[in-house]
Amino acid sequence: MGKPKVGIYGLTGCAGDQLNIINCEDELLKIFDIFEIESFVMASRAKNENVELDVAFVEGSVSTEKDLEHLMEIRKKSKILVAIGHCAVFGGVQSMFMGKEPWIERYKKVYGKENAVTLTPPLEPKPLAAYVKVDAVLPGCPIEKEPFLKLAGKLAHGIVPKVPDFPVCAECKWKENECLLLKGQLCLGPLTNSGCGAICPSMNIPCIGCWGPIAKENWESEALLLLEKGYKPDEIVKRFAIFGGTERAELLKNFLESHQKQESGK
Amino acid sequence: MNREIFIEPVARVEGHGGIEVIIENDRVKEVKVDIFEGPRLFEQLVIGKKPEESVSITSRICAICFASHRLADIYALEKALGIKPSPKTKLLRKLVHYGEMIESHSLHYYLLALPDYFGYPDAISMINRFPDEVMGGLELKKFGNFVMETAAGRRIHGENMRIGGFGRIPTDEELDTLKMKALQLIPTIERGIQLWDQVEVPDYLEEETIFVSVWPEDGSYGFEADTIYVSTGETYPADEYKKVSNERVVQHSFAKRCRYKGKPYTVGALARILNMADRLDGLAADYFKKLYNERWHRNPHYNNIAQAIEILFCLEKMPDLIDAIKEAKYEFVEPTRLTGSGTGLVEAPRGLLIHHSEVKDGLVSYADYVIPTTQNLDDMEKYIRNAAESLLKQKVSEMELPLEMIMRAYDPCISCSVHLVKVIRK
Repeated sequence: MGKPKVGIYGLTGCAGDQLNIINCEDELLKIFDIFEIESFVMASRAKNENVELDVAFVEGSVSTEKDLEHLMEIRKKSKILVAIGHCAVFGGVQSMFMGKEPWIERYKKVYGKENAVTLTPPLEPKPLAAYVKVDAVLPGCPIEKEPFLKLAGKLAHGIVPKVPDFPVCAECKWKENECLLLKGQLCLGPLTNSGCGAICPSMNIPCIGCWGPIAKENWESEALLLLEKGYKPDEIVKRFAIFGGTERAELLKNFLESHQKQESGK
Repeated sequence: MNREIFIEPVARVEGHGGIEVIIENDRVKEVKVDIFEGPRLFEQLVIGKKPEESVSITSRICAICFASHRLADIYALEKALGIKPSPKTKLLRKLVHYGEMIESHSLHYYLLALPDYFGYPDAISMINRFPDEVMGGLELKKFGNFVMETAAGRRIHGENMRIGGFGRIPTDEELDTLKMKALQLIPTIERGIQLWDQVEVPDYLEEETIFVSVWPEDGSYGFEADTIYVSTGETYPADEYKKVSNERVVQHSFAKRCRYKGKPYTVGALARILNMADRLDGLAADYFKKLYNERWHRNPHYNNIAQAIEILFCLEKMPDLIDAIKEAKYEFVEPTRLTGSGTGLVEAPRGLLIHHSEVKDGLVSYADYVIPTTQNLDDMEKYIRNAAESLLKQKVSEMELPLEMIMRAYDPCISCSVHLVKVIRK
């Protein structure tokens, strides 16, 4: 078997996940040695787009029709498609608008009313899985080096890995940090994918949820606990929405409203 | 003969952009720098959020200059909230800023820009001819990242810098490690700067322009201030930034455009080093004097070497800065009011970055961000047009790389504003 053919691509986002691959300074040469890198536009002018890929890494959210076209092309030629980073896995901060008004209204507020969109029609920002089959995910805003290298190592041996499904709290406990949530801070550690090493709580900073929600999260309990600590429903919903997505924020909002009705009916 | 050159996406830049050059009847009819990056509407995302949430959200505008975005947002919001940060906080922020400059500049100078001048598609292919330089570049980049990990919390999107102070203050031991490493890396960047001697800088695009940068009030060379300096001699306080940027929207791009008194201008390392040349000292001043000539005022290619000199500047300043951090008093400062407005001015590695924020009853009510690449786009188009006109006789395939190199020299951070060249011959 030859070297696995790999493409690394970016849709709309901050390019931080690709950058954290380039940030593997000590391992970068090895990555270029183990894999046949067919396309990595951010790092090289040399590219071959007319080849079947064993693995495609894609970061960014689908935010324009051009993004969507590009994603469809990548999906078609790739055996394994890996979504890397929060934007590709969950949609990114740009998808947190909470459905208050159509996208075009927010666009006009930033770019002015007279200016219609002419370049490539924009789409409401969504994760890759909204449009194509995604074979593996690596969350994080941004992805971290160690989890990426582990994932890449497994893929090099033909294994499609699963992301460990436990929250930041587990990593935080291993570090024997004092619990910020119990101290009354709005910490999203119990609901958030691990992999960052509980970096923020270790610096005395509450988790903002930038690795996205874990699959079996118990957000109801956390929301009730935060109410008990004195937070208002609106500030809880807004904080959950930054990295948690619109759908969950809506569920949370309804849950808190009905909870409050129940409470006031008592 | 009519031809179209379209370079898209432009490689080795951060984000998605393209250059379109339309040639009709052997004349350059149109030059358009396109930005395909989908608009993310950050100025709307922060509305109704708490100031500390705004800081976490806006640092996601860009991975490579996240610290600059975070700092600009912190400065704007601290002014709005009536916060005067403690001396240690100010100095530690400066350290993070130096780290980001070193990381971003070494990535751009060694890995993104230099391969073109020596005829390679990327830095990895360059390694056999320039092993020490490429490895040195990676070493510098790693150090810049290490500074950010230590002081900002992570290489990208670290959350340690807060409104009012820091989550965690680095230990003296950690700071001493940075100090030692900075001193060790000075010869590495010197070798990198010396590599510029072998670079042939194209002259067919040259034209004067205006340079805009911050203007530190204490007379130092620096990356943050409350004053903007324009090379035509004017200064403006931070709150009057709109008089400089005059943002407008163009039809072919998702990035806005800026002009000063109707004229395109340039921001970035070249603008800083030309505006603040008298303020340089040490080895950085020596190398600048040795390499400088008046073409620097007319040619964006020199932005690359200006970045390399700034790496040296940061490394030289770091030991004293670290000593000062260790001595300085620290306090986490809480807001004194919940309604107000403020403008934060910083130099991102690729140029002047402005965040203006307004807060009402503890929530962000308005935000306006002016991004370096947005400010550079008109000048980029100007120099690409000049080059295309000079290179008209060449084949389309031979025109692409020289045009792409101009765009790349600006170190465009396209995720925050702006892919790269399309020449159309009709």
